[in-house]
Amino acid sequence: MEPNVRETLAKRTLAHSTADRTEVLISYENAALTRFAHENVHQNVASEDAVISVRAIVGGRTGVAQTNRTGDDAIRDVVERAIEMAKLAPVDPAQPDLPAGAPTTTPPGAYVDATAAADAQTRAQMCGEFFRVAERDGLWSAGYASTAARGYTVANSNGALASFDGTTAGVDVKMSAADSTGFAESASTDIRLVDAAAVAETAARKARETKAPKSVEPGAWTVILEAPAFAELLAFLGSHFSAQSYDEGSSFASGALGTTMLGENVTLRDDYAHPLALDAPFDFEGAPTQRLSLVENGIVRSVVTDSYWAHKLDMDNTGHALPAPNAYGPQPRNLVMMPGTRTTEELIASTKRGILVSRLWYVRTVDQLQAIVTGMTRDGTYLIEDGKLAGGVRNLRFNQSILEALRHCELALDLHRSTTYGYSIVTPAVKIENFAFSSTTEF
Amino acid sequence: MSFDGLAQRALDTAAARGSRYTDIRFDVARTERIEVRNGVIAALADGTSSGYGIRALVDGAWGFAAGSEMTDGAIDVVAARAVAMAKAAASIARAPIGAAPDRAYVDTFATPMLRDPASVPLGERVALLLEAERLLHVGPEIAVGRAWLDLWRTDKTFYSSIGSRIEQQIRQTGSGIAAMAVGDGDAQTRSFPGDNGLYMSGGWEVVERAALRENAARIGEEARALLAAPQCPSGTFDVILGGSQVSLQIHESCGHPAELDRVMGWEANFSGTSFLEIAQLDKLKYGSDKVTIEIDNAMPGGMATCGYDDEGTKSGRSDIVRDGILVGYETSNDTARAIGRQSNGCVRAQSWEFVPMIRMCNLNLLPGDVPFDNLFDDVKDGIYMESNRSWSIDDRRLNFQFGCEIAWEVKNGKRGRMLKNPTYAGMTPQFWGSCDAIGDELAWFPWGTPNCGKGEPMQVGRTTQAAAPARFRGVAVGVGYGA
Repeated sequence: MEPNVRETLAKRTLAHSTADRTEVLISYENAALTRFAHENVHQNVASEDAVISVRAIVGGRTGVAQTNRTGDDAIRDVVERAIEMAKLAPVDPAQPDLPAGAPTTTPPGAYVDATAAADAQTRAQMCGEFFRVAERDGLWSAGYASTAARGYTVANSNGALASFDGTTAGVDVKMSAADSTGFAESASTDIRLVDAAAVAETAARKARETKAPKSVEPGAWTVILEAPAFAELLAFLGSHFSAQSYDEGSSFASGALGTTMLGENVTLRDDYAHPLALDAPFDFEGAPTQRLSLVENGIVRSVVTDSYWAHKLDMDNTGHALPAPNAYGPQPRNLVMMPGTRTTEELIASTKRGILVSRLWYVRTVDQLQAIVTGMTRDGTYLIEDGKLAGGVRNLRFNQSILEALRHCELALDLHRSTTYGYSIVTPAVKIENFAFSSTTEF
Repeated sequence: MSFDGLAQRALDTAAARGSRYTDIRFDVARTERIEVRNGVIAALADGTSSGYGIRALVDGAWGFAAGSEMTDGAIDVVAARAVAMAKAAASIARAPIGAAPDRAYVDTFATPMLRDPASVPLGERVALLLEAERLLHVGPEIAVGRAWLDLWRTDKTFYSSIGSRIEQQIRQTGSGIAAMAVGDGDAQTRSFPGDNGLYMSGGWEVVERAALRENAARIGEEARALLAAPQCPSGTFDVILGGSQVSLQIHESCGHPAELDRVMGWEANFSGTSFLEIAQLDKLKYGSDKVTIEIDNAMPGGMATCGYDDEGTKSGRSDIVRDGILVGYETSNDTARAIGRQSNGCVRAQSWEFVPMIRMCNLNLLPGDVPFDNLFDDVKDGIYMESNRSWSIDDRRLNFQFGCEIAWEVKNGKRGRMLKNPTYAGMTPQFWGSCDAIGDELAWFPWGTPNCGKGEPMQVGRTTQAAAPARFRGVAVGVGYGA
């Protein structure tokens, strides 16, 4: 659905509303994914849909209704349902007016025609690269190739009108041998930059190099987390920078703006215009999104807001609203960890004895305010001895405070975009001292 | 609305383009979400979504495409896209893996319901949550109070090229409350009835059963008390888990590893594989002889309860673990046939735009014969834990670590003082092997999980693991807080 079609649909929907204030969000997605295991495709899926979401405000009361039908009757019905819901809600005295919106500029390259035009045969060819490498090396592969075109338009009765279109292409693969595995991934707005053959080679190399893994004792280790692993950790830090968590006291940053909480070498930003992860320059209320430092040289600099929390806490609206209804508060959407000065290879070379982690799994919060998380290593865990990779080790469970880790770390130079369900994070690898492994597993 | 005409057109179009077997599933869904947070309505939303997903089988490879436009032209486009997807998959396949159902049904199913939630005025639904949330605030330490309600209505019509026509009206309902207390650099949360709330198939009676208002003040008090409670000790203890935590333990350490697609490697790159290997079927000692786990997709109140799954297999019962031995898997037509069995109807799609795949359905630990209070009887030095707070398990489902919201020490058979931050850890077969007592039928409850994630694209599944509290001997406790 083209942006001009969405904007027309949004205006038609607004025209039906008798609410004091009305916001319309039109979301469109055309996505496909080819998934394989043991060199066979077991899922080859595609779907296309457009959703109208209406937020109506009546006398300080808010209701939301959604539909995926776009006819006049459906539009009239969804507006009426939103108003009906609003009339039954209690008044929220903190409810601000809707943002008026402002001109924004979509970063060039967010939408790539070649990605949007990719078909099932293109994805099959990418998967064929994984099959070829797996069969050559006596491994088996499992993974996916995906392409998607997405767009959304926000319009409201205060005059905001903004549209964004973006594309994503991605692959990931796990190569498996008898007693070892290796993982690699790549994602970009541009399918031409996703090199399936290179990803296959990296995953296969890891599976080959970590065969016959040794057991090591859990305890405090020097670790190097490659970017996909580090991104898993950082994903659990993002919500701490929500103004809602900050205000309610469930963030480590609560009351700590301007305080040094992390190492001086740590700068964490939220940046929709980073070249590796181009995104919308406005949020789901149509407010311009600020590119900002959440942490600068270890000092907590900012939390993100939407119109509600900006009004409630008398802060600037940073433009980080999620789609209504949203009980989670504003959230950073595009975390970028700024790089260090040495390459990952140089970090490995500087390590006397340690563990290199390719990927983490099932990370969950153990303690909210200390940001302690637990999880497992997976798919390419190496011993490092005398600055060199020294074969595979069996996977380990960790219990580690992310804050503590970021007080004693060195960031690598090379940045990587890691994309999975719920986040897209740009980060380098990281070397962390005294990383706390608590147990091992059988593989 | 009848979808017969559109369905026939989809089946014909796919066949003309080369599909050997085709099915189409129409979903019309209505969802309502209300959430109260600190006295204000954080969500009051009413959603509708309708569309269809088409599966086509060509040369042993599946294709799937989904659309929402209900016209002949759109159906033709989506059916053709499904066939094209199947052909692309077949073009690089090393072996055929798709298997079509071999039995057709013409039938209907509707979730039994005592009271349709639609008969409860919206204002009454909102008022219930506002009051329950207000009652959580027993003191200034309660920084966040939450009360929520979900109503899900899904009407499905399934057609297949072998003659199935199955209409189903699925109704699922859930609600819950939670309080977070903050003070002295600590944050503690209590939830009720379980950590997800109470989710079942059924109508408004599910909300009434949750008794949110009646329990809100107690939950608020417990959250506040946890701030001052001592830290759960680290070491090896006998552990008694409350029913909802046993449910979570089953979910993570049996429900997921017994998904046969995962066992066969289909989830390897994301959700992982499984230690329940096919060569171990009918041999592996999964747990103690107290442990029997079965699927029952026809049970009253189960979140996965329906007449037929999303590839048209009739719901029923089947064994996964019998007297501690692995004897079965959750299966689809494709995967069951690969091990010489019949599907046990565990295929679900989140909604019309998602491909059906094996999902954990109603997978239950059968009750034992020990009254709840007697589980404590011969525990000299133990910990009783309730309500999940943290859950993590390795990608073959062996090494796990779970945390609970609240615990009490157990000394010489008596429950003692409250403890905070309880965690426990272990390896799955050893842990279930240490299970020496399971609560009786009076303590057995169908705990529902509304948000189980699996697959790529990620799908959210709704599942039930009925369980009673159970006792485990010699468990590692306090991991993550000093052990």
